[in-house]
Amino acid sequence: MPPVPDAGERRKDLIAGSVLLVLALAWTAAVWLTVPVGHGVGPRAFPFWLGVGLAVLSALLLLKGLRGGHGLDPPGEGEGSAAAPPVSAGRRLALVATVCGIIAAYGVLMQKIGFLPATVLTVSATLVVALGERRPLVVGGMAFGIALGAWLAFGKLLGAYMPRGTWISLF
Amino acid sequence: MDLLLAAAQVALAPAALVAVMAGCLLGVVFGAIPGLTFTVAMALVVPMSFSMETAPAIGLLLGTYIGGMTGGSVSAILLGIPGTPSAAATVLDGYQLTRRGKASLALGTAVVASAFGGIVSLIIMVVSVDMVARLALRFGPAETFGLLVFGLSTICGLAQKSLVKGLIAGILGLMVMTIGIDEIEGAQRLTFGTVVLQQGVSLLVAMIALFAVPHVIDAFVQHYAGEQKPQEVADVRAELPTIRDILRDFWLMLRCALLGTGIGAIPGTGGPIAAFLAYAHARKSSKRPERFGKGEMAGVVAPETANNAVTGGAMIPLLSLGIPGDPATAILLSGLLIHGLIPGPMLFIQNPGEIYQIYIAIIVAYVAVVAIQLLGIRFFVQVLRVPAHLLAVAVIVMCAYGAFAIRNSVFDVVSVAVLGALAYGLMRVGIPLTPIILGLVLGPAIERDFRTAMILSEGDPSVFVASVPGAVFLGLAALVVGAQLLRSTRATLSDRRTEEKRRASVTPSE
Repeated sequence: MPPVPDAGERRKDLIAGSVLLVLALAWTAAVWLTVPVGHGVGPRAFPFWLGVGLAVLSALLLLKGLRGGHGLDPPGEGEGSAAAPPVSAGRRLALVATVCGIIAAYGVLMQKIGFLPATVLTVSATLVVALGERRPLVVGGMAFGIALGAWLAFGKLLGAYMPRGTWISLF
Repeated sequence: MDLLLAAAQVALAPAALVAVMAGCLLGVVFGAIPGLTFTVAMALVVPMSFSMETAPAIGLLLGTYIGGMTGGSVSAILLGIPGTPSAAATVLDGYQLTRRGKASLALGTAVVASAFGGIVSLIIMVVSVDMVARLALRFGPAETFGLLVFGLSTICGLAQKSLVKGLIAGILGLMVMTIGIDEIEGAQRLTFGTVVLQQGVSLLVAMIALFAVPHVIDAFVQHYAGEQKPQEVADVRAELPTIRDILRDFWLMLRCALLGTGIGAIPGTGGPIAAFLAYAHARKSSKRPERFGKGEMAGVVAPETANNAVTGGAMIPLLSLGIPGDPATAILLSGLLIHGLIPGPMLFIQNPGEIYQIYIAIIVAYVAVVAIQLLGIRFFVQVLRVPAHLLAVAVIVMCAYGAFAIRNSVFDVVSVAVLGALAYGLMRVGIPLTPIILGLVLGPAIERDFRTAMILSEGDPSVFVASVPGAVFLGLAALVVGAQLLRSTRATLSDRRTEEKRRASVTPSE
């Protein structure tokens, strides 16, 4: 196969180009409106010209996506191509949200109920709910193992501050 | 000499030694696990080093870096899957050796070659780094700006598939770093009146988000795609090659070590390129090139020597100029910054003792890596059997606590989650993450030097090309971008031609 830009590649360029273009324009406008000019090369210059640069480059990417394959394949055909793993876009998005949600929730929980309980709770919930793990030994072992291991390594060995929790302070 | 002895006293203290060994262990384990690179390990280790003294912290970081570079060979040889991209070339012959029942010897040889490459590159680094730094001391802000732009352009241009995407990534990194209070005039930039954004986006938060979070997401996706077969690994141990074996490949190792050091010194290149070039060189210079790819030991020796030699090479621009060449050295740089060591020519004047500590830590790290690999190989084989999604859960805990530990703030943990999702999105649409991190690291210095130079020249932009080094660096940057532009235009044209040909041949049959 010659390296012809396939439909999937083109759609990626389209998505990336348009999203980044919007971002660049919003950024540039925000900089223009809120950052003072200053003297000489002031505080506005760098963020402004970087925004313009991003706008130009993302427009180029968008153009490449639009022009790319001259209607080589009908859009959507690239979906099930060999390179893409068999995970649907919706599923993938849900997983991204799950992982990032877990991280954020764990951070908040850590502060509220303390490191050890938050870790046990987060690890076991992630294993059971998000990953479908059902073996009690694996869930329990990992939850308590990781929590205690991290607590000993960071808190005791390295002497780092471990959140104790503002709602209840257990440890 | 006094300085060296004093540095040795600090760097060889028990706490520092334990830290180097812990770092090596962590690096080797992360390096060995396919999908978890040592860059992830380093992003997670930096927050841990906060509460440490300077010497153990340096040791921990360097140990992780060096251990990771070596650890990638374990899974490359045993499973045929590179644990890190740098070990991809090792797969070619390493895995064949395993299939021929020579796994133990291949592992042992890889360890020896790695340590050899690392030590040779360290010697070259020690000799050259001081010279480069002395040269760089004469640079004013205009020359430094040129140098930084050159460094960034090689990273955006050389190492990426698409110049446009590489540049977009670099600019994104630079943009993020302008958020917060402006250093020179104190103006608020895009803080939207909030206090948390005034100090800008933490470099470490960005690093954890860019490197660790996408790996976790990938592990979850793979789990749902049903690709979680536990790897079948035989019980092995590492067997040292005989002195005769080593002597036979000595010149090859030396050449590959020099090659790796040279490649490593160019920002934007790094381990994978050095390893493949060394492999190609070994095959070309071999008396029996037909045996490559079928289990030739030289095919393991060459890439493993070269990819570890990259570590010393990459240290040259990092320590002497403050320019990191790849994500791992960028993280190393941020770790050094936290402990008050500012890489660049002034480091050699202000912290000569710490420079020696760095050298000693690297030597200790190589000794530790050899010991760990020889004694602990059975343990790593067990780690390779743990399913990736279970390891990902442990990494989530490290990501979140690491982000929290930076300044004991939950805001940082939430930022990691948000930026991590964005980073994964960028990765999916093919925007490379490496230039982003280098834009983040170099951004503040690029802006500061540009503006200082303009203030000194009273607004005359010709200051940037007024001196020879300044003009040379900016010229080289233009050359890198220009050459890449030419190459991609040519590639597009030839693509279009093949496509037209293809369509011409397809049409009649439709």
